[in-house]
Amino acid sequence: MANPNRLLIVDDNEDILSTFYEFFNSMGYEVKTAVDGFAALKLLRDKSNFFDCLITDLVMPNISGVGLISIVKKEYSHLKIIAMTGYGDQPGALASEAEADVVLFKPIDLFKIENTVSELINQVKANTKN
Amino acid sequence: MSTPLIGVSKSILKIKELINHVANTCLNVLITGETGVGKEVVAQNLYAESARSTKNFVKINCAALPETLLESELFGYEKGAFTGAHRKRPGKFQTADKGVLFLDEIGDMPMALQSKMLHVLQSGEFSPLGSDQEFRTDVWVIAATNHNLEESIYKKTFREDLFYRLNIIKIDVPPLRERKEDIPSLLEYYYRLYKSEYPDNHGSKPDSDIITTLCNYPWPGNVRQLQNCIKKQMVLNSWKKIIEELPREQVATVAEIETDGRLKDISVLQRNDVADDRTLIISKFVDLSTSSDKLFEDISLKKIKKLASDRVEKEVIMFVLEKVGWNRSRAAKILKISYKTLLYKMNEFEIFPPVK
Repeated sequence: MANPNRLLIVDDNEDILSTFYEFFNSMGYEVKTAVDGFAALKLLRDKSNFFDCLITDLVMPNISGVGLISIVKKEYSHLKIIAMTGYGDQPGALASEAEADVVLFKPIDLFKIENTVSELINQVKANTKN
Repeated sequence: MSTPLIGVSKSILKIKELINHVANTCLNVLITGETGVGKEVVAQNLYAESARSTKNFVKINCAALPETLLESELFGYEKGAFTGAHRKRPGKFQTADKGVLFLDEIGDMPMALQSKMLHVLQSGEFSPLGSDQEFRTDVWVIAATNHNLEESIYKKTFREDLFYRLNIIKIDVPPLRERKEDIPSLLEYYYRLYKSEYPDNHGSKPDSDIITTLCNYPWPGNVRQLQNCIKKQMVLNSWKKIIEELPREQVATVAEIETDGRLKDISVLQRNDVADDRTLIISKFVDLSTSSDKLFEDISLKKIKKLASDRVEKEVIMFVLEKVGWNRSRAAKILKISYKTLLYKMNEFEIFPPVK
């Protein structure tokens, strides 16, 4: 089998984090998780070319999801970004402004998000082939 | 020269690491923490480690100035913009261009100015008072507050959209009593600093017993209070006297500090709760976020009485109607009003039976 797609999932709710981890793992992804933006940034700085896609919550302590997205867009522009929010419109709007590829509102259907992830990654792969 | 961030506690080390990782992103930062914990020191460290350190660090205290003055300080004004504006004056947004604008006590900024702030943060443009021109500005905004802004949003004294725009990176500085291990190094640092500033003073260094006592004190005024104590020592040269003069009920033994400190916290909380409850109740009927002039105009006991009693009446009517399965004549009897009055009130309060 070819290289598995690699995901970085960030959420300060550990229940959500482990659910996502289990789910994407079972779908054949290689998954790393982080509990806030700062932990995620440290993972990224450590392995900048490792990940294909970032899935992040928006309202988190220290570095917020919006902050993380802005940094990733600037420093790791190859990464596809999916933002998830459960806090009304404000953070979602800021995430779009920070140029997240997709903004989803909680509660989130896991199969739907998996679809979005694979579409985004395939898009990149198709582009690099051409 | 900026003050370094002193401390060996986990929380301070983490803050240092965070500063190091985000100083060059220039994303908006919100620094929170009790009074005197060193929020400005964190801001200065962010600035010092960033690529903007060669430009200006401009500070403004949003709580210290009245609304109109704060506005002209931030945005500047044109000559003749108001009586007394004899010449044009640049605002902080202009002087901080390419540098850092540190907004201290942002939680105390009046609502009207908050919306103006939001506009600058969104568009990067502002116009000075009395000018119809928009100027572009590239400032890195670092804001600080000792308020719980989430609570302020709930009480409608802080704009939610401004909060999210500032809260891109959040640095919370814990109070000194939660990081006692930082106290010895802070004592050492400030002792040396004041000694070098006043070399003629002979205040002695704290010995290990004094350090232990000081470590066990809860420092309600945090680092600022500790600094003042060391300054005092430089003049008095008597740790005994200084410790005696610390707010009394909180010194003595460790056990006593624990209970006293907690008791004191609770009484403060309760007092705040009463005030909070009050504003919460009033805010249901009057918009408290407007300026005091407008607010005083809006407050009318008669009007508020009507609004409040309507609200309670509606709830009571709904409550009874639901209990009797929307049988209106039974409800009228229970409420001791006529059937006609009940229908009238249901109509007025727009109470409709549930659609089946």
